[in-house]
Amino acid sequence: MALPLPSGLVPTEVAFLCEMEIITIVPRQRLESIPMLSGKTPALRPPRRADLPLWLALLLKKQRRANIVPPPWLLTASLQELVNLETNVNPEGFSEPPPPPMRSDGRGVARPYAATTSRTGDEDGDTKELTLSSPFLPSCTQDAPSGYLPFHWLEIAETLLAHAADDIPNAPEVRALLRDLQEVRAAKLRASTRHLEGGGGVLKLRGVGAMELAESRGFVLSVVDGVRKLGASIEAGRREEELERREGRGGDESDDDMEL
Amino acid sequence: MPRLPGTSFLTDFHKVPCKFELDVPELGYLDNNPAQPLKSGTTIGLPLWLAELLALANRAPSSADEDAKSFISLNLPPSLSNEVMAALKADPRAVPLRDQSHNFYGLGTRILDLFEEREICAILRRTFVTRAADISLHAGKAGTTDDMGVGAGEDFLRGLEEWERKLFKKAHDGAKSTKEWMEGVKKH
Repeated sequence: MALPLPSGLVPTEVAFLCEMEIITIVPRQRLESIPMLSGKTPALRPPRRADLPLWLALLLKKQRRANIVPPPWLLTASLQELVNLETNVNPEGFSEPPPPPMRSDGRGVARPYAATTSRTGDEDGDTKELTLSSPFLPSCTQDAPSGYLPFHWLEIAETLLAHAADDIPNAPEVRALLRDLQEVRAAKLRASTRHLEGGGGVLKLRGVGAMELAESRGFVLSVVDGVRKLGASIEAGRREEELERREGRGGDESDDDMEL
Repeated sequence: MPRLPGTSFLTDFHKVPCKFELDVPELGYLDNNPAQPLKSGTTIGLPLWLAELLALANRAPSSADEDAKSFISLNLPPSLSNEVMAALKADPRAVPLRDQSHNFYGLGTRILDLFEEREICAILRRTFVTRAADISLHAGKAGTTDDMGVGAGEDFLRGLEEWERKLFKKAHDGAKSTKEWMEGVKKH
């Protein structure tokens, strides 16, 4: 092996990426908009809430210039619902990822989050569709749906509990519920490799978070690889048979053609 | 066949029982009987690499009406025998695979290349995935308690063979790096 690093992202890298997530804060001081490569940050005017990347929110929090608003899924009610869902309702699979976010356009119509109505055009206004993915989705702001775990749930929750525990209502209970959730899902991920027995090599990982993937990637990949190797000779035999059958059929057809 | 680094080449020297199909002079010492030629029908354990070659190669037919025969006929090695398969079928976790062969699955794949045994293949797969789930469980726990977490699963972990040890290491590394990150969150 040339590189000592494992394939895929390691947990610290995942944690670094999760700092791009947008999170809601309540500023305590005014701060002008900062132009950055990722775009301008909103100007902060207390006590108006604003959405910022997690790393900036944490920086302001450490300087006591802002309070963090925990995302709705990180509240005890939502976490209790999720633990119940994972243990009792659906003890086999993982809970669903959050649905694509919708936003009201002010006229009673829900539109996809990224669709913007241009104000300059005529009254109807044409909507522009933008496809957004992980760091740009509002999965951790105050608008996030409760009862759904976003992709970076574990990292966000751990980071917020470590640095902004005073902003999270009932933090000790949240911590305990998170442990439960993590344990339940880790056990499911371990057991999920049993479905590989048939040799399909397909594992359903819908709803699994980034950190959980980083933790189990090496193990799951090795199991898939092992099952493939064990079945390799049988699989090769099956393919040969199939090929022969197809060739045989092809030969028949050509015979038929000749007869015609 | 390309040789992979590591210990997988040791599987080449695993003895498999072979029945000789012809008399071989001067080879009697293999059967502890140096004075006599090696009789046909004698079963002797030969290393896998040699057995593979001899079983697949054909010798020239001695007379015109005779079909080409191989030198030896292979049998299943004892670690893949019916008894072991029955035990694995009953409870995959109860069998210490390392006692059967250090590279049990490696040997299994080599044998499955030679024999078309769908049932053995199915049993091996089932054993592998069932034990993998347990390995992951033990790997997550290892090192968290004072006795290094091997207290309860010590027997099971001692019975892991090569592939399973690699699995254990991967699962353990993953759990460890996540735990390290979680403990380090507060410091930054």
